[in-house]
Amino acid sequence: MDNKNKTIVVNIKKCLACKSCEIACAMVHSKSGVLEEAVAESPRPQRMVTVEAAGEFGVPIQCRHCEDAPCITVCPTGAIQRFDEQAPVVVDADLCIGCKLCMLICPFGILQIDKKGRAIIKCDMCMERIEKDLDPACVEACPTKALSFVLLDQSEKAKNSNASSQVKSEKKKSKDKE
Amino acid sequence: MRKIAIIGGSAAGMMAAIAAAKENPDVDVTVITMDRLPYRRPAIPALIAGAINKPEDAKVFSAEALAGYNIKIVCLSEATDIETANNVISYISDGGKQKVSYDSAIIATGSSPLIPKITGSDKKGVCTFTTFESAAEIVEVAKDTNCAVIVGASFIALEIAEALMHKGLDVYFNVRSRILRKLIEPDLSEFLIDRFEKQGLKMLTGQAISQIGGEQSVEYVVHKNKKTATNLVVMGTGVKPNVALAEKCGIELAQSGAIKVDNRMRTSVSNIYAVGDCAESPDLGTGMFVYSPVGSIGAMAGKIAGRNAAGADVKTRGFLRAQADQILGLQIYSIGHSTTTAKEVGLEAKVHDLDVGQLGRFEYKQKPFEKAKLLTDGKDKIVGAQLVAEKYGSQFAWQLYQAVLNGEDRKAFLENFISPRAKMAETLMNICEPNVVVKGIGKDKSLVLKNTKSP
Repeated sequence: MDNKNKTIVVNIKKCLACKSCEIACAMVHSKSGVLEEAVAESPRPQRMVTVEAAGEFGVPIQCRHCEDAPCITVCPTGAIQRFDEQAPVVVDADLCIGCKLCMLICPFGILQIDKKGRAIIKCDMCMERIEKDLDPACVEACPTKALSFVLLDQSEKAKNSNASSQVKSEKKKSKDKE
Repeated sequence: MRKIAIIGGSAAGMMAAIAAAKENPDVDVTVITMDRLPYRRPAIPALIAGAINKPEDAKVFSAEALAGYNIKIVCLSEATDIETANNVISYISDGGKQKVSYDSAIIATGSSPLIPKITGSDKKGVCTFTTFESAAEIVEVAKDTNCAVIVGASFIALEIAEALMHKGLDVYFNVRSRILRKLIEPDLSEFLIDRFEKQGLKMLTGQAISQIGGEQSVEYVVHKNKKTATNLVVMGTGVKPNVALAEKCGIELAQSGAIKVDNRMRTSVSNIYAVGDCAESPDLGTGMFVYSPVGSIGAMAGKIAGRNAAGADVKTRGFLRAQADQILGLQIYSIGHSTTTAKEVGLEAKVHDLDVGQLGRFEYKQKPFEKAKLLTDGKDKIVGAQLVAEKYGSQFAWQLYQAVLNGEDRKAFLENFISPRAKMAETLMNICEPNVVVKGIGKDKSLVLKNTKSP
């Protein structure tokens, strides 16, 4: 049950950019769910996490399951939804008309078109695995534990503001440089 | 029990049905549709590319999605008449005449392809793509040819060109003026044409093809007096609203030819509403009624009409047109007005280049590029925005969307415009402690950072 309050955390200092998470994600979301068969599927299974090079680091980019998710707000049919405040943001393909408004509004640019039906696909935080008390596939596949699935701390607000002030000071630094 | 009858089972009609059933569980909703099942229209390029092969693969609003709502769908049926005096709709189903009475009716009859007058456009091999059946014909013809000509300038025409290129066909793209004329500015169109040509799409620009030749089926097209051999011509030259039924029962049409509605999506007959590609809709910025056949607007309008039909009284201020697509590896975003659509509503729009490159960016190994435009009215209020990007374009586009939606002042917007990509890089690079997580975007549109419990 605790799994529902967990989230995927990235420690980019540990990321090798090996893309194991990408493969695991595509495999779990393929028709067969088995690597040997998934590679032969047509259209090829799509991954919902992308490892990008950022300076000297690799960064796995995936849905952040925003607290106030713009994709949920903008979806005209209610296809993008979450079942409660802590739950991951998921797409109900049965309601998605493929208008791509969410693709336009995602601040992280992670929403993609499904090659099969031109609906939207995104990270569902491996809902089915979570319910079985397993970690999401990308987390399980990460060899260095750069990706981890951890509980969010709701109480420690001090640290939180500390982190945001750090962002602000960094922003100021970069402005001063200019 | 209040009875609602809806004619048309695509995005607008089905959203109206769901909204009505949600608004008032005591309504009885009947949807009369000509289709065999509701399907997602953007799936048509996937059908042509061979990623799917039957409408079932792209079905939407299936029985499971509608479970729990009091909605009855009558498939393969054509509405033939609306008796506005008696509140009865006649339709043909299974070859027999049927009738359904209503308290409120919603017309969502959609649109049909608009085929330009070109000599030979009735030949076999000239296809359209608004239905799965017509798209299946494209697949059939494409099997025996190695060259296709697409006529049109829209997103979906480009998607079909891309799908046919994936099948290994030589694709010629004929556009009379420029691509995506209603969505983007001329220099962005030129830029796209240049990029697409490099990827192998052959452009036939400057004027429409003047002739489609061949005996019974297509053998060649003529463009600027030059013959191009092909057996397949795909017409993506826009749509016209299906208004025959509305016209027949005396519902007023607007100058654009679509059904005239008010801010409640109500037609000239007080208990009949019209939504989707067959009707006009109010533009958010100006409040003027325009014909804008876009899926998302149809769905939003459907919701308003459905709720009103079920007894609510909701008005819309207007809808913001926003479209995005990914074609041949390029992401294209168009939000609000372009100079073309602004002119149609009498707005004098000024175009500004937005240099997103100067703002801090995520340090990718291969630097992606972005080209962006801001459109403002006389008071320097943002009325439109466009963006072409290689990767993660929405990291910028979402801010542009907010700016157009709220009609922000251009100067104020530029002062606050912080590249989210830079923001994300900062967050990830500078505070990447293992116990801090970026939990997306919060209510104040800034990044939310959360601590995690130490193990």
